[in-house]
Amino acid sequence: METNGGRPTPAQAHSALAEAEHIQASAAALSATPWPNWFFATLTLYIAALPIVYGGVMADEDWLLTRSTWMGIMVAITAVYVALLAVAGKAWRDKTGVALRLDVLPKRATLPLAVGLPSILVGSAFAFRATGWPGWLIAASVIGAAASVGFHLAFVRLHRASA
Amino acid sequence: MSADAHDMPAGFDATVHAPNRLRICALLDAAGEAEFGLVQKQLGLSASVLSKHATVLMDAGYVEQRKAVRETRQRVWLRLTRAGRDAYRGHLAALREIVGPPPGPAS
Repeated sequence: METNGGRPTPAQAHSALAEAEHIQASAAALSATPWPNWFFATLTLYIAALPIVYGGVMADEDWLLTRSTWMGIMVAITAVYVALLAVAGKAWRDKTGVALRLDVLPKRATLPLAVGLPSILVGSAFAFRATGWPGWLIAASVIGAAASVGFHLAFVRLHRASA
Repeated sequence: MSADAHDMPAGFDATVHAPNRLRICALLDAAGEAEFGLVQKQLGLSASVLSKHATVLMDAGYVEQRKAVRETRQRVWLRLTRAGRDAYRGHLAALREIVGPPPGPAS
């Protein structure tokens, strides 16, 4: 890659590009390191619980618990989730030595999730409020948990593929 | 910051082009931010060599460092600045220009 101050030859430039691509691929493998299992379980449980709890908050009248109790549960589980996210994020950065990035997976996978999951959460609560049928909430809970498992497996596969 | 020769393509950056500095930039561009020890391990560089090249990149305004304490020890994290990211990507574009277009499909 040495150019002695002159223009690199195509072969030298090609070699420099190949080296940069190789390093970027190994860095990408680090960035795709999956969450530790304990946080993956926490995240999945939180996503699965959220539609049920939000449905309770949004219900027309008290459903299983009072609305204020559902609200208290939502605040509590969200606070616990945020605290554990901070702990897991720090542990992840310390373990990998790289920054936590949200753009590791392709946008075609993350964009539908970013739009779809909140829509399912809110939509199922409104559907439950309108019909009184808790199946909407359970379906949203199952879809959310499945999305969490799917994304975790995608990170595991990406990490292995690029490592 | 830029190459001396007149025939260099636009974006060619002699500061970035030095082999180890190009590798450091490649790692930081992909990782966003990386701990000094991790950069050392990934690139197989000694602390003094990495420190020397990181200083050159910092003096050029291409890299910035952040110090954080982990397990009672101070760790240094490196990241590309916006100017550094632009210079690195411009340099890659210049290298691609030197390489030329990929050969077309055989007819």
